[in-house]
Amino acid sequence: MRFFGFHLMPYPYLPESHLSSRESSWVTLSNANFDPKLGHELYQRYLRELVYYDQMGFDGICVNEHHQTAYGLMPSPNVTAALLVPQTTGKIAVLGNAIPLRDHPMRVAEEIAMLDVISGGRIISGFVRGIGAEYHTFSMDPTSSRERFYEAHDLIIRSWTEPGPFEWYGKHYKLRNVNPWPRPLQQPHPPIWSPSQGSVETVDWAAARRYTYVQTYSDIDTVKRAFDGYREAARRHGYTAPPDQLGWSIPVYVAETDEQARREAAVHLGFLFNALMRMPKDVFFPAGYLTLTSATRVLAAKRGLGTSSMDPEQLMDRGYALAGSPETVRQRLTEFQRELGFGTFSGIFQFGSLGHAEFLRSVTLFAEQVMPALRPLAAAGDAGDAAPSVPG
Amino acid sequence: MSTATAAQGADHEERDITVRGTRIRMLTAGSPSGAPLLYLHGSGDLGTWQPALAELAQTHRVYRPDHPGFGASDDKDGIDSVHDLAFFYLDLLDEIEAPEAVVVGSSLGGWIAADLATIEPRRVSRLALVDACGVRADDVATPDMFVHSPVELAALIYNDRDLKAAAVRRARAMEHDPGLFERYLRNQIATAHLGWNPYLHDPKLPTRLHRIIAPTLIMWGAEDHLLPVGYARRWAELLPKAETAIIDDAGHLPLVERPAAALDILRTFLGTGARP
Repeated sequence: MRFFGFHLMPYPYLPESHLSSRESSWVTLSNANFDPKLGHELYQRYLRELVYYDQMGFDGICVNEHHQTAYGLMPSPNVTAALLVPQTTGKIAVLGNAIPLRDHPMRVAEEIAMLDVISGGRIISGFVRGIGAEYHTFSMDPTSSRERFYEAHDLIIRSWTEPGPFEWYGKHYKLRNVNPWPRPLQQPHPPIWSPSQGSVETVDWAAARRYTYVQTYSDIDTVKRAFDGYREAARRHGYTAPPDQLGWSIPVYVAETDEQARREAAVHLGFLFNALMRMPKDVFFPAGYLTLTSATRVLAAKRGLGTSSMDPEQLMDRGYALAGSPETVRQRLTEFQRELGFGTFSGIFQFGSLGHAEFLRSVTLFAEQVMPALRPLAAAGDAGDAAPSVPG
Repeated sequence: MSTATAAQGADHEERDITVRGTRIRMLTAGSPSGAPLLYLHGSGDLGTWQPALAELAQTHRVYRPDHPGFGASDDKDGIDSVHDLAFFYLDLLDEIEAPEAVVVGSSLGGWIAADLATIEPRRVSRLALVDACGVRADDVATPDMFVHSPVELAALIYNDRDLKAAAVRRARAMEHDPGLFERYLRNQIATAHLGWNPYLHDPKLPTRLHRIIAPTLIMWGAEDHLLPVGYARRWAELLPKAETAIIDDAGHLPLVERPAAALDILRTFLGTGARP
């Protein structure tokens, strides 16, 4: 199994009046609440934490893109990645660029190519649509999001793989001269990852292209359904999915004892799921962001991520997060790996309002006492059928 | 081409018609020989027949289509703006063989109506804009309909306490009625596609409104909280020859909320006399 360290760069210094309200932490939470001086300290600390993953032997680190929110301070994942290139030796996964939100997808093609060339081919390129709230942030028509995503993706990949210049005449982008300088070092192009919460369309799209599919923020049943769906889609597309192509991203907290780990994690999971993710349903899922069928299901549901309060204990029990002693985390991850068959694990060790010392201890315990035992599981080259499709 | 697919209603008929290859659901009422009146519905209209339309059908042949992409009509590729929809409705007027028609538009429908009248001004004999979006008033604050839940929207649309409470109850009940909820969502999606940005207006429309030659009525609910009455003033500035009627105690849908008062004004405007 290969290991990545993910960082959300949350902004924890929110006033009590916001925390105890039902107000959205996205789009409209005033940036007057962002203190640039505290922000400076945070960025320094968070960048050190990302470098720490690399120093502790993780295969790579993950950064992401979010806008107008205290949930994460990385509106540009490529800027974050650029800062980390000279300070790290492993992979840097940009998870991902929200390509439909860009006016011009070629800017992403250029930036990722730059990062790939400068880093000596260490970049993993994630592509995402951006979450629904971000269509409010940029006042961008959510009903065209999926189309723009597919077209921007096709354009970027072609620009990386076919010598330019060529003309692109699509529905959303019309370019007379596609010819990005530089082009990527990795051939035919950097690995593509596709993070998602399990939409059937995305699972199939990623499987068809042999992209690493990364499941985020889900209970175990959903993770299993998505991974089974991916393996099935891969078979439909004529191949057996290797475990590497299945990624699981989840908040992780390791401490000396289970009791301590769960108690300390609970505070920050509560902060993450109930304060930082909080927003109204119609902001989370603007009209047309989801297909009509998914929207009917999601919007009619009484409960949901970000839109209803979630109990941290339940989050841990249902597999939204993993907390425990090194022994427990090792055991549970081994069980989950056998059950779910993933070969890429992306731990979110910094979440909520977790302090620096707790982060370092958790990552150290994980790297020293969990990771080594799990490395042989789902080693590269394993066939993907390690995970039989039986109820676990 | 038109094929009746539904039974005769008490005061209206429902049928499917095909306009240049797109099937849409059409409600009609009134004598087939009556002067045509095209009613263009608003974004939240889920396709129920409005009693006010039956009243108008006493003097006119009333056509009330579901817009393509809305209600029980099919989607149509290539409709990405209200301007595209306006052309669709000119094709519809050809389809029903109406050289000209009275066009009444509510909310989103008002925007379509005004745009249509700028393209082929002579096809519109009279134009009534009821709490219509489509233009922007810089100085009038409006809520963003796309961040509100069905329940919140219901509360914004109605002024009358009982009607508002009933609308909120219907919005809540929708959570348990997947079919109805899906219809609501489909209307929201279609509206978002037309009016997400610029928000429910076309910045170019004011440069074309001078082309409208039909006598025009701007009708507004005085207590419209979704599109406040300042927008009636904005339309009046842009259409200096239009008459304006503000209906007291009505919200965004005066024809639903205060039908008698709204119909009196509409009948007088159409030259068909006051209510008997």
